[in-house]
Amino acid sequence: MRAEQGWPTGYTASPEDRRAILVLASLRSLTPRKLLEMAGRRDSASACLAAIRSGREGTAGDRALARERDPAVLEGAVRRCGARLVAAGDPEYPASLLDLADPPAALFVRGGRLGDLAPRVAVVGARSCTALGAEISSAIGSALAAVGVCTVSGAARGIDAAAHEGSLRGGGPTLAVLGCGIDEPLPATARRLLARIRRSGAVVSEYAPGVAPEPRRFPARNRVIAALSEALVVVEGGDRSGSMITTEHALDIGRRVFAVPGALNNPKAHAPLTLLREGATPIRGPEDLLADLGYAAPQDAAADGPPASAEAPPGLSGEERLVWERIGAARLAEAVAAETGLPLDRAVAALMGLEVRGLVRSVGGRYERRFVGISPPDETARRRARPEGSAETPVRPTPTA
Amino acid sequence: MYGRAFGAAVVGVRGFLVTVEAHIGRGLPALSITGLPGAPVQDARDRLRPAVEAAGLGWPLRRIVVNLAPGNLRKEGPGLDLPIAVGVLAASGQVPAGRLGRLAFAGELALDGSLLPTPGVLSVALAASAAGLEGVVVPHANGREAALVEGLRVVAAPSLRHVADHLRDRWDPGPPPRPRTDARPPAARVDLAEVRGQERARRALEVAAAGGHNLLLIGSPGAGKTMLARRLATILPPLSGEERLEVTQLHSVAGLLTGTGEGLVVERPFRSPHHSVSLAGLLGGGSGVLRPGEASLAHHGVLFLDELTEFRRDAIEGLRQPLEDGRVVVTRVSGSVEFPASFTLVAATNPCPCGFNGDPGRACECRSDRLQAHRDKLSGPLLDRVDLRLHVPRLTKQELLGAGEGEPSAPVRARVEEARSRQRVRYAGLGISSNAQLPGPVARRMARATPGAEALLGRAVETLGLTGRGFDRALKVGRTIADLEGAERVEERHVAEALSYRAEVRAPELVHAG
Repeated sequence: MRAEQGWPTGYTASPEDRRAILVLASLRSLTPRKLLEMAGRRDSASACLAAIRSGREGTAGDRALARERDPAVLEGAVRRCGARLVAAGDPEYPASLLDLADPPAALFVRGGRLGDLAPRVAVVGARSCTALGAEISSAIGSALAAVGVCTVSGAARGIDAAAHEGSLRGGGPTLAVLGCGIDEPLPATARRLLARIRRSGAVVSEYAPGVAPEPRRFPARNRVIAALSEALVVVEGGDRSGSMITTEHALDIGRRVFAVPGALNNPKAHAPLTLLREGATPIRGPEDLLADLGYAAPQDAAADGPPASAEAPPGLSGEERLVWERIGAARLAEAVAAETGLPLDRAVAALMGLEVRGLVRSVGGRYERRFVGISPPDETARRRARPEGSAETPVRPTPTA
Repeated sequence: MYGRAFGAAVVGVRGFLVTVEAHIGRGLPALSITGLPGAPVQDARDRLRPAVEAAGLGWPLRRIVVNLAPGNLRKEGPGLDLPIAVGVLAASGQVPAGRLGRLAFAGELALDGSLLPTPGVLSVALAASAAGLEGVVVPHANGREAALVEGLRVVAAPSLRHVADHLRDRWDPGPPPRPRTDARPPAARVDLAEVRGQERARRALEVAAAGGHNLLLIGSPGAGKTMLARRLATILPPLSGEERLEVTQLHSVAGLLTGTGEGLVVERPFRSPHHSVSLAGLLGGGSGVLRPGEASLAHHGVLFLDELTEFRRDAIEGLRQPLEDGRVVVTRVSGSVEFPASFTLVAATNPCPCGFNGDPGRACECRSDRLQAHRDKLSGPLLDRVDLRLHVPRLTKQELLGAGEGEPSAPVRARVEEARSRQRVRYAGLGISSNAQLPGPVARRMARATPGAEALLGRAVETLGLTGRGFDRALKVGRTIADLEGAERVEERHVAEALSYRAEVRAPELVHAG
């Protein structure tokens, strides 16, 4: 479904054109679609910019902004944050973006070469997700990393951040697509995560330095996530969520869509369940995804199979095993006690034994099975490294883009 | 013409004997009071003449000087009305001076000469007893309160006229009022049996009561946090005689006993100040008369702070001192005043600003910065003193239907008392009485954990990110759970249960929670 008309050959050929792109990428109302139409009429980026500046194209606000913005200043800002411009027609420009009806004229990139970060699979979902959702997202990121697949996501908190974190823990690479300027005008916690992502893979954005993060740009960002990836995995998302928009884009350009099923009473399972009903492929865990995509799961990852079918791990006491077999979705310790016939204090002790082993977790006073059995060793090391008396839970970077 | 009578000033909760001298001399009719009287004592000037005349006695129409000694002590409280009136009556020869040296007087006068219920009478009586006086004359309503002091003769008089008649041997007060001596508090108004479901929370209350641990309840509005907190007081051991006296004294000074006629607090106090409470309201102080704060009114009982994050930060910080020392020191220009404030803290909070975080049926829609701000308010030194942290989830309909009637307070209290007596024996030489008071390093030595329990704690440090403080807390709570069971050593299952009381407000990151 390649666009009928891509960017005209030579649209960004001259240095003058590349400078013009910098200005065009900072305008507020100019969508890629409008710019593409304009390019069809005017051939080069500099001609488009000149038309806007002289008032023949664009909105009144954009005309003023275009006259105000100095390409030299923007060039300096791009250089200062260590970014580079990858324009349509450049060798580094990912061909898969051209599947879009409105591919970006150019991407700003910080980090490694985009050509090296392939193949790519997107993992997306809600910002406010459940602990289980974050865990699954992270497990998928790790599994993709284990077979050398780059995890693409939006660096938002929640599912996105967990996917990046999972990939980083598995050795990467991972790629973040921003909905704001490439200079990352974001809170410090988000920037810390992005710095780690840059070292592992790359951070890209369609927007010039200084463009603020505004939700209205996130749908456009989501189309880039979809187009950069060969498949899309939706972990959790509510009604009318960004995940659904990303999915629309992915389906428009023929990407495979996978969804992680959730419980019917989990409001954050709405998006994946809707997608499943519409024909998305369900996955029970990372292994299903890797198998469907044709990437063999490494041998040792097989042990982390979907818990619903897993054998009780070795080394459990009799009571722990009894509780482990009965617990699944989140339930009260009282309910676990009633179902196992154990007195409450014994049931709580058994749950705690399982929690210490990383098999069970407490969420808001209820207990549920964890998706992945055992804490990865590097996480243990990080936790141990925390000074005593600091905050009681590990502090994680909070991307908010 | 000179007269003298004893009264008492109350500073904090302590009574100090005050000598009231009255002199009637030449000059225009006037009354001046010297000797650092507080504003309420100055107020007495205009009250005294009508009260004396209403009692059928004469007010000397001359210049009257009243001096309150010692002069360096600021005299607070309305209880000095009566000794001043008696002093004036003695100076004018209307009552014989003979017995005034052996009695202390306390009471606020109404314009009709009757004696009104007066705060702090117990403190006055204790001061009189300590000074070796024979008896006290107090308002009728405060008789049973004053009678709590052993060996002191209490005259409970309805009015100034009765006081004067008593001094002139014209009125016999009859048998002295008898103090309340009920061995046990009356049937409590609330009972643990009323809590439906929430077995874990009930168990946490039991552990808190048994070890003197403070408790944090995290749960949505309507989950039953207030209901639970109120019932903690019903499973604490009954107040000892000495504790009753301390609590009664505080409540007397605060004016909480007036009008009840009870004269003795026998139930563990439960105080639940609103989150808009001022610093002085929570910790004590205030302009003019120093009043004990809610922290002191909860002495030997339960202080419940609902919506902990809504309280002023300085108020929360101010609670550190009582949580550590069991007392509040209010510092004034004129010196510092100490109020006892040894209470069990129960704090409650929402899991997040919207209240739905962690709820399986509804999504939390809080922005991450608001969630973080909520979480930040809950960290810090106050929470370090809270050993038990528990989620109180809002029960689903099914969960509620499955829940039966709970165990009543009485048998739980019996277990708590047993566990407490084990601790008292164990810590006899250490100057502490409960597991919660154990300093961390001592806890590691005294808890006597089995190797299995220590191994579990070690694993928790590795996999759950347990901090050093969290380690000590789990050990102390584990010790309490073992005490409830009568176990000599802290075993693995005790520590495991203790570790389950470390709920926290979830971090907004939501990555790898747990």
